[in-house]
Amino acid sequence: MLRATLKGMASRKARLVLTSLAVVLGTMFVAAAMILTATMEKSVTGVIADAFTDVDAVVSSAEDPAAAQGNTPSATLIPGDVLETVRGVDGVESAEGDVSGQINAIGDDGKLVGAFAPTIGFNWNDQSTGLNEIRDGTSPQADDEVIVSTQFVKDAGLDIGDTVTAYSYTADRAEYEIVGVFGLSGDRDSIAGETQMGFTVTEAQRLLAQGEDAYMAIYVEGGDASTDDIAAAIGSDYRVQTGEEASEEAAQGFAAVADIMGYIFLGFGLVAVFVSVFLIINTFTIIVAQRQRELALLRAIGAARNQVVGSVLAEAAVIGVIASILGLGLGVLLGWGLSQLVSSTVMGGLAVQLQVPATALWALAVGIGVTVLSAFVPAIKASGVPPVAAMRDAVNPPKPLRGITIAGLAVTGVGGVLIALGLTDNLGDLGLGGFLSGVGIAFVGITLLTPILSRPLVALLGAVMSWSFAGRLGKLNAGRNPRRTAITASALMIAVALVTGIATLVSSFKETTTELTDSNLESDLIVMGQQGANIPTFMPETLAEIKALPDVAAVGDLYGEFFGAEIDAEPTMLYASEDLPTSLGIFSGTVADGSVENLPDDGLVVNESAAEDRGLALGDTVEVAFANDVTAQLQVTAILDDSQLTDGWWVSPAQIPNFTVPKPMQAYIQVDDGADVGAVQSEVEDILADEPEVSVTNNAQFVEQQTGQLDVLLASVQILLALAIIIAIIGVVNTLVLSVLERTRELGLLRAIGMTRGQARRMITVESVIICLFGAVLGIAVGIGLGWTVQQALEEEGLTSFALPWALIVTYLVAAVAVGLLAAIAPAARAAKLNVLNAIAYE
Amino acid sequence: MPLSTPHAPQRTPGLQQQHSRAAVTATGLWRAYGSGEAQVVALRDVSVAFASGQFTAIMGPSGSGKSTLMHCLAGLDTTDRGTVDIGGTVITGLGDKALTKLRRDKIGFIFQQFNLLPTLTAEENILLPASIASAKADPAWISQIIRTLDLQERLSHKPTELSGGQQQRVACARALATRPEVVFADEPTGNLDTRSSGEVLGFLRKSVDDFGQTIVMVTHDPSAAAYADRVVFLADGQIVRDLPNPTADDVIDTMRGFETRVPLAGEAA
Repeated sequence: MLRATLKGMASRKARLVLTSLAVVLGTMFVAAAMILTATMEKSVTGVIADAFTDVDAVVSSAEDPAAAQGNTPSATLIPGDVLETVRGVDGVESAEGDVSGQINAIGDDGKLVGAFAPTIGFNWNDQSTGLNEIRDGTSPQADDEVIVSTQFVKDAGLDIGDTVTAYSYTADRAEYEIVGVFGLSGDRDSIAGETQMGFTVTEAQRLLAQGEDAYMAIYVEGGDASTDDIAAAIGSDYRVQTGEEASEEAAQGFAAVADIMGYIFLGFGLVAVFVSVFLIINTFTIIVAQRQRELALLRAIGAARNQVVGSVLAEAAVIGVIASILGLGLGVLLGWGLSQLVSSTVMGGLAVQLQVPATALWALAVGIGVTVLSAFVPAIKASGVPPVAAMRDAVNPPKPLRGITIAGLAVTGVGGVLIALGLTDNLGDLGLGGFLSGVGIAFVGITLLTPILSRPLVALLGAVMSWSFAGRLGKLNAGRNPRRTAITASALMIAVALVTGIATLVSSFKETTTELTDSNLESDLIVMGQQGANIPTFMPETLAEIKALPDVAAVGDLYGEFFGAEIDAEPTMLYASEDLPTSLGIFSGTVADGSVENLPDDGLVVNESAAEDRGLALGDTVEVAFANDVTAQLQVTAILDDSQLTDGWWVSPAQIPNFTVPKPMQAYIQVDDGADVGAVQSEVEDILADEPEVSVTNNAQFVEQQTGQLDVLLASVQILLALAIIIAIIGVVNTLVLSVLERTRELGLLRAIGMTRGQARRMITVESVIICLFGAVLGIAVGIGLGWTVQQALEEEGLTSFALPWALIVTYLVAAVAVGLLAAIAPAARAAKLNVLNAIAYE
Repeated sequence: MPLSTPHAPQRTPGLQQQHSRAAVTATGLWRAYGSGEAQVVALRDVSVAFASGQFTAIMGPSGSGKSTLMHCLAGLDTTDRGTVDIGGTVITGLGDKALTKLRRDKIGFIFQQFNLLPTLTAEENILLPASIASAKADPAWISQIIRTLDLQERLSHKPTELSGGQQQRVACARALATRPEVVFADEPTGNLDTRSSGEVLGFLRKSVDDFGQTIVMVTHDPSAAAYADRVVFLADGQIVRDLPNPTADDVIDTMRGFETRVPLAGEAA
């Protein structure tokens, strides 16, 4: 029996190739995702592990383990006398304090250096250089000298001898002379694209520790003091780790980036696998239908039912194994390529150490499992072929669609109910999970409904294409086997639905932003920066300069504290404005109770629902703990009506010095009636010439800027879903090729009685285009539904408008036609080239 | 049997013309398949003419070349040597496009099975050649055929809803719908019971008598051949006998004559 199966397979090579291709692509992406994750993790861990090889112990604040990175509130600093204590511990040979954190440097072009990766400032230390190797020049000896990383030289366009301006959130600008350049061990420029500047200890402390004699960490080198000895000496306020432990902790943070990318690829790999399920089911169903007589003959000469099932499953298993191994192999290549790409674009030329983890074998399991499982239903169907079918002409009357339709309605219903419950907050803690599984279940249900939907939709789409007789025949052929058409189109539907769903959300977000700007924002110009590695700010003096411009009527300003202020021990974001009444006016914010005029230093303004959430009323007092350890008792002096632009906690400008970043982040400029907005904009531009982080936009540009990143996201999703679309196209090609084979005699007849090759080609092409359009139309409809559902779910989070991405929808429809034309090329050529005589004699 | 250099064309003994004008004329047809040792000569120097308005049957044992002859005559197969003329057009050497157009406009086909498109109704199948040509069929003519074939009640049915005999009658109607120069029928009754066979053959006869249709039919059934005006016998790729106004008995006798030389295979090709 197995021999018969294998021989049969060998005689259908083209079909095998097409089916295998789907499995290969799916497994390839799954394997590549696993390999990317493991490889990046290994490569990054390898590098970071080097960082502390020579370090025997690392002391950090017990309060915040992540203190060594990013912006450091003073509460987590280690005072200088602790360093002295550590140095005094018996057996400690040397100990150095480390001050590091994010700073800003202005490059040769007047812009911030490294917009998307941070600039790290630290105290250069000849003893504990770790990864750093001086490539050129010397280390900084004076406070106005700096040594920079090779990545900095590349990004900033500045080199030894040049002067560079740097500042931090808390320290004003200062100029430094570049006296040296250092690189990282292994001839690298950076670990993850960051740029680095090494200062003297005092200068680093001025920039990053508000000028205090304090450190973020202490590195102990040499000697035989144990971590316990050191811990005992400095007390429980500090954490002491071995170099290894510290390395691991540091590596975890970086590896997380690689992990996220791995998950994204895995997600798209799984979508691809899911789409290939349709292709495999379809192919095996058609193969079984075509082999009906052969199978019946086997049954007639004594093969048992389970032998027939076994025969089909064996074929699937062989395809699954070969294709999965091939997919795994290609996946290793793809994973390696992606790792190279990620390391060179995101990780600053990190040396890639290829890892093929055991988890990559999951790709094999997925590939084989999916193939065999997908072939199961067709196999069972095959075993149902009665032996007598061998004796008569194989006529496959279309099966009634009642069963599948009822099942589809039931499943869609279950999904719909889950979605509805999730939307109305009736699922409690399971809300999001229930909602998402509802979406997934509804997806499956709609897929089951596609055969019944195909009838009216194919007729409708076909009507457009029936202007020629060949087109009419193509339309009839497309509607001939609703299940096959539906399964083929479903693959396309899933991919299109996902992109349309995301596109709908993006357009809804744009619409929401536009509406918000148009109806609530009273300003004409906005000063703000692009959110990159840091929160863009500008100098308070700049605000005053803008206010002084002749045509400016009013300026609203915004300061923010995002890093760790607490109200009654709960982390809370705080806002402040130099002139709250004016700012509220510009944001169309209204006062419900109390007054915002002459806000006292201990005043606090909050919107209604936030106050309600914490059980606060006008006149209540709360304790606000700022990140710099200052604690203040603030009194609620006004309550605002809820409004998206002004919701939150506002404190008096007197508290701004307590903010981690005591600089304005945004300014909203209202221009005098009748004044030229464009002229004011260029005046503001002049003022901002010295502000590297922010720029001025009008409202339309603002919306564009806010939503620009979403377009990038959408484009990435479209690129990644291209894989699923490729598999869907293969599915269409497969179905068409098999249909042409199945209808060989019919085509022969048509050609014999005078159908031209061109007409035969057109007939197949129309069938292809209809299948693709059907998939696209369904996908767009489902995608819009999906987008709407998610928008409804996010309405309370501020996604208040729903808008359709019309341009994209039209593009997808046009693309579907193009895909249909493309998929039809080979099958149509085959149909046209058909030898009429052979076709008529074809069994 | 290797193909030797073809002889100069010679007159086949049975070639005779009963009518003044020939609808289809074949002259010196050679057709071989394969090459070298495996070469099979299906037609060796066949010359034959089919008069307009006549019903001719082509008979012969399995492998005699009768199907090949019909395929070459109908422009479905190419010839190695010789010419075929249909209604004044030499079709040998024509390209696919011209041949397709010729089949569409000048030839009608009736096959043994799988004669209809399952997606179309009986009426749409009848109008198929006209539809393919984007031409308008002559409604009077079509309804006359439909009446003659007694298909009025079946026009809106799909092929799967028709009996084998009804399907073949629809195929006959389609073959005649464009008033072709000649109708080629390849074992048209091969799949039918006796009664349906009689209906189909009766119609073919009637279309010759009443409408002056030219019909060339390949068959292995002597009683089917008896409906024809003339039977041409093939054996070994050559015309060996030309029998005018045959009866079933004549045909059986003639075939028995071959059996002594070439054993008949159980089934016709």
